[in-house]
Amino acid sequence: MDGKRILMIDDDPDYVNAVKMVLEKANYAVQATYSPKDGYQALENGAFDLVILDCMMGRGAEGILIARKLKKKKELGELPILMITGIREQTGFFFVGDPRDETYLPVDGFLEKPVRPDVLLQEVEKLLGR
Amino acid sequence: MSNGNAILIIDDEEVVRDSCTQTLAKGNYRIQTASDGNTGLRMIKEFKPDLVFVDLKMPGISGMEVLERIQEIDATLVTVVITGYATIDTAVEAMKKGAYDFLPKPFKADELRLITMRGVEKRKLLLDAIALRREKEIIRENLTSIVSHELKSPLFAVQQTLYAFLAGVAGELNLAQKEMLEKTKNRVDMMLKMINVWVEMTSMDFRQLRERFKPLDIPGLLSKALEMLQVQAAAKNIRLVKHGPSSVEPLDGDEGTLLEVFLNVIGNAIKYSEAGTEVSIAIEDRDHELRVSVSDTGVGIEKEDLPFIFDDFYRGKAQSKTGELGSGLGLAISNRIINAHNGSIVVESERGKGSTFTVTLSRSKEKQDRQ
Repeated sequence: MDGKRILMIDDDPDYVNAVKMVLEKANYAVQATYSPKDGYQALENGAFDLVILDCMMGRGAEGILIARKLKKKKELGELPILMITGIREQTGFFFVGDPRDETYLPVDGFLEKPVRPDVLLQEVEKLLGR
Repeated sequence: MSNGNAILIIDDEEVVRDSCTQTLAKGNYRIQTASDGNTGLRMIKEFKPDLVFVDLKMPGISGMEVLERIQEIDATLVTVVITGYATIDTAVEAMKKGAYDFLPKPFKADELRLITMRGVEKRKLLLDAIALRREKEIIRENLTSIVSHELKSPLFAVQQTLYAFLAGVAGELNLAQKEMLEKTKNRVDMMLKMINVWVEMTSMDFRQLRERFKPLDIPGLLSKALEMLQVQAAAKNIRLVKHGPSSVEPLDGDEGTLLEVFLNVIGNAIKYSEAGTEVSIAIEDRDHELRVSVSDTGVGIEKEDLPFIFDDFYRGKAQSKTGELGSGLGLAISNRIINAHNGSIVVESERGKGSTFTVTLSRSKEKQDRQ
């Protein structure tokens, strides 16, 4: 697993830090960005093996838009996206166990905040092992 | 209002229209007149009056009909009927059709001014009430999203950090440290759960509950609630005693939310009771309804709190013995759930002597609605 690079896009630095600690302990190289703009910038400047995305950036569920945009970028290839979110906080979206619409939310993995470290690492490994 | 309130006078007599206009000219009003009902009704749409005077006896469509149509156009429009045939009967009929007041001919200038002032004031109150209701609704919706986003985001960060520490990524913890963090994590978990319940409950559209209705075994549901509350009751050595039939004819309802109501009401009884006492839960099966009463001998509710205990975020003065603080939403939510079931929830209580909450679920109503 050494050397695998993960990009995080989440607007809560404290949250990012807590996840980053766990990932780094497992020997992943993690770059954290706190806005969609910085996230896109990082993707242009470097290669990543996985993107971890929060859904509720700002107010408009921007993470969903980012996921759609990234999946359309041919140059990113098969870059997997893991969404970690407290999305249920905005009612009316979808609930635990509801089937996810791939075109609505094109992500490869989906976890709810707060996520247990073992569950997180398991999911990350799964997505990187494809 | 800088332009003054808009007043429309519908009367077939020119002299009445003119004298009214003149009398009110000095006030800060915009005045228009119509000589018959149809013209008046047409003008309402464009002129948008706050107050309409309607003569009851006119050629063409009658004043009563005009009143009815005005109600259809805008129920917040204030109408005053003018008539030369002032009888109690016509007055009553006009009021039934939505008229706010009654002006018998002949009337004095002061009477007209006074009734106009009152009518305009009434209109303002009606509009204010609507604005307030709407505002309250907006606050409720905003509160939900503020609570959910602004409270949960920091809690997620806290919780995720605790997870990281507990996983030992910031160095191994000793047993005591681990235990303390574990406890902290559990507290945060509880908080997140509570917020989720608040959010789901306050943002829920209770009118949609009916779509989830199915026949329910109410005594069974109560047993389930009692089982779930057993730990809480045992901790205070409180006995939960169930009376009444253990099986009744099923009643249509939504299982999840009704369970929530029972948990809430019985949970409250436990919370506000002295240790070692008894909470009694009685089921009463009547022809058309099922009653579930929950009685405790606890702290009771202050008389002045009673009218408000079903309001959102209202907390009475009574504190539970352990100092537990409620969300201030439990009974408000229970009330809404029970209303959505066409039922009622009432309380009888005396400070220091205990409370009895009675949930009545109607059977006949359900059947009528289904047909």
